[in-house]
Amino acid sequence: MAIRYSLPVFCLAYLAMTGSNHAAGQENLTGKLTLTGSSTIAPLVSDLAKKFEKTHPGVRVDVQTGGSSRGVLDARQGTADIGMVSRALKEDEQDLKSYPIALDGICVIVHSTNPVKELTDSQIVAIYTGRVKNWKDVGGLDKQIMVVNKAEGRSTLELFLHYTKLKLPDIKADVIIGDNEQGIKTVAGNPYSVAYVSIGTAEYNATHGTQIKLLPLHGIQPSMQALIDHKFALSRPLNLVTKTEPTGIAKEFIAFAAAPENDSIVKGQYFVPLAKR
Amino acid sequence: MMVSRQVLTRTSRIRASRARLQNRIAAAVIWGGAIFVAALFAWLMADILWHGWREISLAYFTQEPESAGRLGGISSILVSTGLILIVCLVSALPIGLGTAIFLAEYTGPEDTVSRKIRLSLNVLAGTPSIVFGLFGNAFFCKMLGMGFSILSGGLTLACMVLPYFIRIAEESIRSVPQSYRMGAVALGLSKSTQIMRLILPVAVPGILGAIILSVGRSLSETAALIFTSGYVDRMPESLYDSGRSLSVHIYDLSMNVAGGDQRAYSAALVLIVSLILINFITGLIGRAWSRRMISIS
Repeated sequence: MAIRYSLPVFCLAYLAMTGSNHAAGQENLTGKLTLTGSSTIAPLVSDLAKKFEKTHPGVRVDVQTGGSSRGVLDARQGTADIGMVSRALKEDEQDLKSYPIALDGICVIVHSTNPVKELTDSQIVAIYTGRVKNWKDVGGLDKQIMVVNKAEGRSTLELFLHYTKLKLPDIKADVIIGDNEQGIKTVAGNPYSVAYVSIGTAEYNATHGTQIKLLPLHGIQPSMQALIDHKFALSRPLNLVTKTEPTGIAKEFIAFAAAPENDSIVKGQYFVPLAKR
Repeated sequence: MMVSRQVLTRTSRIRASRARLQNRIAAAVIWGGAIFVAALFAWLMADILWHGWREISLAYFTQEPESAGRLGGISSILVSTGLILIVCLVSALPIGLGTAIFLAEYTGPEDTVSRKIRLSLNVLAGTPSIVFGLFGNAFFCKMLGMGFSILSGGLTLACMVLPYFIRIAEESIRSVPQSYRMGAVALGLSKSTQIMRLILPVAVPGILGAIILSVGRSLSETAALIFTSGYVDRMPESLYDSGRSLSVHIYDLSMNVAGGDQRAYSAALVLIVSLILINFITGLIGRAWSRRMISIS
C-alpha cells in the first residue's frame, strides 16, 4: 500500500514545493532584464549583456532566442522586457517602440566553384519561384538549381520577400533552413545550390576558406563596408523593441547597446555599427 | 553403378560448396554490419577529436564563455548541464521506477490498465522532442510560472525520458525469475518487502541501463531545452536561473555564430567523452553490484 500511495503524494509534494519556492523567488526579480527573439541578434546581445552586467553589478540580463516573430510577440505580451527583431517593424507592429542597435544586410550566395558571376533581381525571382530550374538559363553550367530558403518567421526570409515582392507560397524551395550558418553549410556542401544569408556571416566564412561566393547585387559587391556606406540595397536594422517607452534598466540597456563605445562588440559579431551619430 | 555414384558424389560436393559459399556470404554480411557500426563511431570520434582537441585546456573548463562562445571556456555551461541532468533524474527516477514496478508487479502484461499505460508510453516515446520543448515552455515556464529556468528544462527532459526509462526498467523487473517471487511468497514476505528486498536489488543492473539511456538522451537534447532552460550562458546561481546546456551551446556555435565551428567541435568532444565516462562508470557500478548479489546468495 505504501508504494501505491507514495507516487501521487510525491507528485503533490513536488508541485507544492516548486510553487512555494517560486513565490519566494519572485521578490528577488528586481534588477533582472529578459530579452527574447531573433537568433541572429542573440549572440550580439548576449555579449553586450555580459559587459552591461560587469558595469552594473546587481542587474542580470537574460537573453533567450526563438526568432524575430517571437521577439515581437513576447514584447507585446510582456513575457519579455525587450524583444529582439532583426528587421524594421511591419505596419501592424507599429504599436511597439523600436531602437536600432546595429545593421546587417543579406546577400545571395552560391558555391565558390559556380561560374555564375551575378544574378539580377528578376533572375533571383525566377529561380526562387521555380521558373528557372537550371543554372544554364542564368549563365551557368547545365545543372539543376537547388533552391535553399529560410523557414517561416525568420526575418531574413521576410526581408527577402519584401525585396523581391514575393509571397511565401510563391517560393518553390528544395531545402528549408533556419539559421545563417546552416545556410552557409548547405551551400558549401552542395555545388549547385543557391541561398541568401546575412552578409557579416557570409563574409566571415568566405574569407575563412568556406567554399561559398557572395554575389553582387546591382553591381555592388556585398561587404560590411558597402553596408556602412548604405550602398547595399538588401539591408536591415537589428532592433530592440519594447511595448511602451522603456524605463529603468530597459532604458539603460537600450542606450548602452547603441552606444558608440560598444561598436567593437558589434563588429566582433560581424555586424555593422550604426552610422555616425 | 560406378557412374551413378560418381554423379551422386558430384552433386553432393556441389551442394556442400554452395552451402559453404552461403555460409561465407552470411558471415561477411554479419561481420560487415558489425564493422560498419564500429567504423562509423570511430570516424565520428576521429573527426571530433581532430577538430576539437586543440582548444581544450584547463582554462577551457574553468572559464565562462566570452564573445558568444568563440573565446573563454564552458565552465558555466557544464554546471548548467549538470544541474539540468540532476533535476531530470531526481524527478524522473521515482516516477519512472514507481510506474515500472506498478506495470511489472501489480498488473499482468495483458491487463487493460497496463495496456493503456503502455500505449501512452509508446506514443510519448515517439513524440518529437521539439513538442516536449513547446509543452515544457507552455506548462512549466508559463503556466507554473517557472520561467526560463534549469528547473523547467530538467522537468521537461524528465517528461521526455520517462517513457524510455519506464519501458526498460519494467523489462528488467519482469525478467527477475518467477521462482524468486514464489520463494518470497513461501517465506511469507509481504509484497512491499518482496519488491524492495528481493526484486529491485536483482533488477539493479537493468535499471542502471535505463538510467544510462536517459542520461544519454538528456545530454544530447537540444530542441526540448532551448525554449525551457534557455540560452543564458552565465554561471547559474539557483535552479530558477536560465542555463544553457552543452548541446544547446554546440547547436548555437555551429548554427548561429560565425567562426564558432572550432569551439563547437571542442564542446562536442567534451560531450562525447563525458557520455563515454558515464557509461563506463555506470557499467562498473552495475558489475560490482551483480558480484555483491552473487556473493550474498
